[in-house]
Amino acid sequence: MYKYVLKRLLFLIPTIFGVAFIIFLVMNITPGDPARALLGLSAPQADVDTLNHELGYDLPFLQKYFNYLKNMILHQDFGRSYFTKQSVFDEVWPRYVITIKLALIGVLLSALIGIPPGIYTAVKQYSLWDTIPSVIAFFIAAIPAFVFGLLMLFIFSLKLNWLPSFGATTVYHFIMPTLTIAIPPAAQVMRFTKSSMLEAIRQDYVRTARAKGASERTVIWKHALMNALLPVITQVGLSLGTLICGAVVAEKMFSIPGIGSLIIDRILYKDEPILLAGTILISICFTVVMLIVDITYAFIDPRIRAKYTTGRKE
Amino acid sequence: MKRVLIAVFVFLTVLASCTAFAAEGDKTLVLRTERAVPSLDWEQTTNTSNMKVWHQMFEGLYGMDEANNGYYNELAKDVKISDDQMTYTVTLIDGVTFQNGDPLKASDVVFSYNRARKNSRFNYLTSMIEDVSSTDDKTVVFKLNKPYSPIAHTFFCVKIASEREVTEQGEKYGTVPHKAGTGAYYVTEFDVATGMKMQAYEGYWRGAPAIKNVQYVVIDDLSAAVIAFKNNELGYFEDVPLSEWDFLSEASGENNALIKGNNILFTAINYLSPTNNNILANQKVREAIFYAVNKNDINLAVSNGRGVEATQYMPSDYVATSPVSGFKTYDYNVEKSKELLKEAGYPDGVDVGTILTYGATSASKAILAQVLQANLAEVGITAQVSVMEAAVVTPRLYAQDYDICVFSDYGNYDYNNIRQQVHSESTGMYVVRYKDPASPFNWQRIEELVDAGVNTADVAKRLEYYTELWSIVMDTATILPCLHDPVGVVWAKDLDVGKPVPTYYKVRTFKWK
Repeated sequence: MYKYVLKRLLFLIPTIFGVAFIIFLVMNITPGDPARALLGLSAPQADVDTLNHELGYDLPFLQKYFNYLKNMILHQDFGRSYFTKQSVFDEVWPRYVITIKLALIGVLLSALIGIPPGIYTAVKQYSLWDTIPSVIAFFIAAIPAFVFGLLMLFIFSLKLNWLPSFGATTVYHFIMPTLTIAIPPAAQVMRFTKSSMLEAIRQDYVRTARAKGASERTVIWKHALMNALLPVITQVGLSLGTLICGAVVAEKMFSIPGIGSLIIDRILYKDEPILLAGTILISICFTVVMLIVDITYAFIDPRIRAKYTTGRKE
Repeated sequence: MKRVLIAVFVFLTVLASCTAFAAEGDKTLVLRTERAVPSLDWEQTTNTSNMKVWHQMFEGLYGMDEANNGYYNELAKDVKISDDQMTYTVTLIDGVTFQNGDPLKASDVVFSYNRARKNSRFNYLTSMIEDVSSTDDKTVVFKLNKPYSPIAHTFFCVKIASEREVTEQGEKYGTVPHKAGTGAYYVTEFDVATGMKMQAYEGYWRGAPAIKNVQYVVIDDLSAAVIAFKNNELGYFEDVPLSEWDFLSEASGENNALIKGNNILFTAINYLSPTNNNILANQKVREAIFYAVNKNDINLAVSNGRGVEATQYMPSDYVATSPVSGFKTYDYNVEKSKELLKEAGYPDGVDVGTILTYGATSASKAILAQVLQANLAEVGITAQVSVMEAAVVTPRLYAQDYDICVFSDYGNYDYNNIRQQVHSESTGMYVVRYKDPASPFNWQRIEELVDAGVNTADVAKRLEYYTELWSIVMDTATILPCLHDPVGVVWAKDLDVGKPVPTYYKVRTFKWK
């Protein structure tokens, strides 16, 4: 198991190199430069060239790339933002933490909202208790997140005056943004849970459990759900990754200083150090989340745990 | 069940970790800034949104009062101009201290100007300054390399910072709170992402401001800002979307104002366009296009009739030397337009290519483009409308790669800024290239007049030059001012803002009711 985790963690290294390479490549092939964006149209070209040189922007592509990796690995230095001149890490990290919080709460909410009705509708298949939630889930899944955001802003901020409409200072500030990003994936989680449960409750072991006289509650919770949860966990894990990138909708709508909105803002200024650090952190997070999902499999499914424990390959 | 409870517990723990509940503090005036302020060093951008924030902290030799005819002496007590108009001797007012307590000295002014001169971003403001020096603690001498009448704008834009504070903070200056300005407020907390908190400077030379706590929050989304104001989370909200005007003005009671904006929405024709066998090189066709433009329609569509139909490039309300008459205005005249088309050899109408602009399809420029298309159709002229991203469109406009465009300009306080639209040295800024081998226009005279306007400080003379200049430009039928969009300002019911202004408001003049 440790070997597996270690192997997966080592995969992070080529991932970081790859992400940095792609960003460098994109920044180099797109027109414009940071000095012109910073100095404005009236600045003489000579001054623009000088600033680009000071920023190291005029270096050959590969040299820039390797310099960046060297500074990052050897000195843990992500550089300084072209735009604000602040340390990139100091700027990116607090925003990254906010986005992670937002995404984490969002994914927990989506699981809490999505899984129970998914189970219930599967157990009550073809009844009214299946039809109504399923139709609602279809409806919700088809609505973009920003519509929920606007709707909540309208109701809870504008009409009821219960919740603040922007910022990320208190718990109250997080309620609407997290719900905004949680509800659409919750509908998907519900549908996924339902189909997974339906498949599980038709398996022979469930029939056997019933035949052995196990209570319906035990059959559903212990036998069916535990087996149905594996694909659901994958779905939830994937949606966490998606939410880290997709939280930008909520960040923009509720003026939350997250990593997504930072990256979008700085694209305009070709603020390469910020874009690199931001995307690298997102890719690391995505990889770690996938690793956690895989490890969770082992906790839930003894067969997988046994495979890692014995090192046996199928 | 136990696992469900654990999950709920974990969720609540994470939620609770999103910091504690905010404490109720002193009354704070909350304002919106639409863009993140990148630095507390005013030299770091020329973005108007950021400059509005810096204006609360820093002051220049001149101030700007848009409600009362523009520039006034701020830190300058007296300005003497030499006979050759190339030396400005500025005496500083007494009793001014920086927020750190240091008295304002001429050396601080020299330091601030020399710093700005080294920054290419401010070339357009400082390139005419040959030397800045101080003769004593209260006198600063500016030597120019040519007579330059718009120097008032430089004196307004360049802010004075404490040499000691800037030097002591070194590389950190701008990234952390400082007390380097002479303004009424200094920053106590700063975060690029979220905004900043300011506190009143009790030793302010005009007297301590009435509002003690100010907070700027970054809200880039207009809808979010509208809701925040309605939700009483913003105390002052300027440049509000006109589509929400009724809603916001109702929410603010009597605390709202629609002010004539210091901006211009205009249409331009690229006479060099090869479209339809150089149709736009034909003077009569261009004039026919301009006579077909109904500015009343534009006003109704863009501003719900709340704007001001424009004939000037810069409103004379804000720019003293902006010509008000003595030039063609192309007042809406369908018959004349049709007649000109007929004279041009197109009695049944003609296709003039594409009207190009940028921004959201619901924004002012796109709406104007659509109205223009409909106006042209009335006289038989057909044109397509193309609305794209600014990053795609503006380089095309600057390279004269278009037929007709809708463009805008704002924040001009000196008529010399017309240079960027008409002078051949303003490559990358103008949308019509007057100096060109194929140009039928008297571009030499245009450039002479721009220079003549700069070279004299005599307002009457400048007005005379600029009237001739604008007359020549309007005769070319290439630029047509269409609309001055209004600026909507709303503020909280318990706030008194005095006379509202379109751009550079001063929080120091505000007070709680």
